[in-house]
Amino acid sequence: MKAIETTNLTKYYGALCAVDHLTLSVNNEIFALLGPNGSGKTTTVLMLTTLLKPTEGSATVCGYDISRDGESVRKKLSYVPQDMAVDIKLTGRENVRFFADLYGVSPASDRVDEVLAIMELSDRADDLIRTYSGGMRRRLELAQALVHEPSVLFLDEPTIGLDVAARKKIWEHIRALRKKGMTIFVTTHYMDEADQFCDRVGIISKGRIAALGTPMELKARLMKDVITARIEGVFSPPFVEGIVFVGQSGDEVSFTAENGREALPLLADALGKSGCTVRALSLREPTLDDVFLQAVGQQEEPHGFEDGKFRTMLRRRR
Amino acid sequence: MNGVVTYMKRDFTKWFRGRVAVISALVMPAAWLIFVGLALPVKFTGNYLDFITPGILVMTMLSAGLSGGALLMFDKILGFLNKFLALPTPRGSILVGKILFITGRGLVQTTIILVIALVIGSTLLNPVQYGLTYFILFLFGVMISAFATTIALYLDDHDSYSAFNTMISMPLFFTSSALMPYSVMPAWLATIAHLNPLSYAIDAVRDVTAGGFPMVPIAVLIVLTTIILLVCMYVFRKVTV
Repeated sequence: MKAIETTNLTKYYGALCAVDHLTLSVNNEIFALLGPNGSGKTTTVLMLTTLLKPTEGSATVCGYDISRDGESVRKKLSYVPQDMAVDIKLTGRENVRFFADLYGVSPASDRVDEVLAIMELSDRADDLIRTYSGGMRRRLELAQALVHEPSVLFLDEPTIGLDVAARKKIWEHIRALRKKGMTIFVTTHYMDEADQFCDRVGIISKGRIAALGTPMELKARLMKDVITARIEGVFSPPFVEGIVFVGQSGDEVSFTAENGREALPLLADALGKSGCTVRALSLREPTLDDVFLQAVGQQEEPHGFEDGKFRTMLRRRR
Repeated sequence: MNGVVTYMKRDFTKWFRGRVAVISALVMPAAWLIFVGLALPVKFTGNYLDFITPGILVMTMLSAGLSGGALLMFDKILGFLNKFLALPTPRGSILVGKILFITGRGLVQTTIILVIALVIGSTLLNPVQYGLTYFILFLFGVMISAFATTIALYLDDHDSYSAFNTMISMPLFFTSSALMPYSVMPAWLATIAHLNPLSYAIDAVRDVTAGGFPMVPIAVLIVLTTIILLVCMYVFRKVTV
């Protein structure tokens, strides 16, 4: 049985299509849904955690249908939204105990001690959350989520707003949970984290999966060296044999080539002829960023911004 | 049931830790009791304090209910609600727990007001009368907190809700039978007062303190509370699924 399976999962907010016939299956693994802001990541998670009704299509979590069998689904999962909602007037222990009582875990106090220890919060457990750092609050939320030993853990942007050390720690904990057999579904827009820590990633753009596979596979699909050029002036992709234009972000344009070293001078030449000035050239191995750029295309904030639509969307997402 | 108790426990713990809020909510009704109840020269009754106390008790419950209305909205805005909704705990217990907390908090505050009233010279009642008074205040509290929660969930914005709160609390109080009996009101005010749900709660408590059993006002309160609860549940379902 797959941990998560979706079939044509679709969500419309009015006329805006947030998730577009998403078909996906997630095994026992760390799966990351990657995508720019507004690509449908959070909407997908909200549907899978039964907080939002799909417009069309279906999905199962641990074999239970999210529309028909919501309560069984909720027994199997834990959800940590990106808002960081912990009661600052309560202590760490009280916050976790609260969730243990809601889940009906017994013996509650032993289990609370256990998860606080797992998240390395034992020594600060009786301090008010007011005194916790961002990273500690996030770990406390993970402790809350772990208290009933879920099979699937949904984390929406778990490392957003945290410093480098705190991020690393969160990911170490996620890896440890994976080793214990938990399925973890993460959304993020940090490519490097997905590359480093996730078993499989799906890149989502405008509500559709644009690329799917292990980070290695996805990078191998580009299979070439990546050349990035910083340019000035009007850019039009030059045609050089063996060099493929990938995408542009700001004044940087990326290409791939079979043999980067040989391609460098050819490319510099061609760019010069096409009428722009080359300020810098660099050669490196492909990263998930390049995969992302190729899959999603040039990243831009959607303009032609419709205020009304945006408001309904915000209102429903809360 | 377990969920309801747990949600209430969370809110009570948070409330008791915010000491300033616990005290400040009592200043207004206590001031009314002392400065109006003791000082206003009225001719229609010999003990104005006894007359106004039921009105102040209901007023305390009203402001507790209206300020509590924002709680569930804040849980929603701050992301707590989404975490709670993803739990296997029955979703209705979030709403029931919240309404019972707001009402319970109001009952704690009205108890303190009752004690103050006794200290400054109102008449001591018998246990049955106090029991009935609490029952009526409980009913009214459930009604007003369900109403406030519904409006707040519907408005979904803190500024709009506090504007709404300021807009209705004083007019509701002044157009009720809290400050004077219907017989001394101008006719237009008496008409409005008879329609005001606050009056039913105040009249019921006043009737109890006079030794009666207010069948009709209690029946009206029960009907109103049921209707508002149903609407509240409907709005809650609509915003959560």
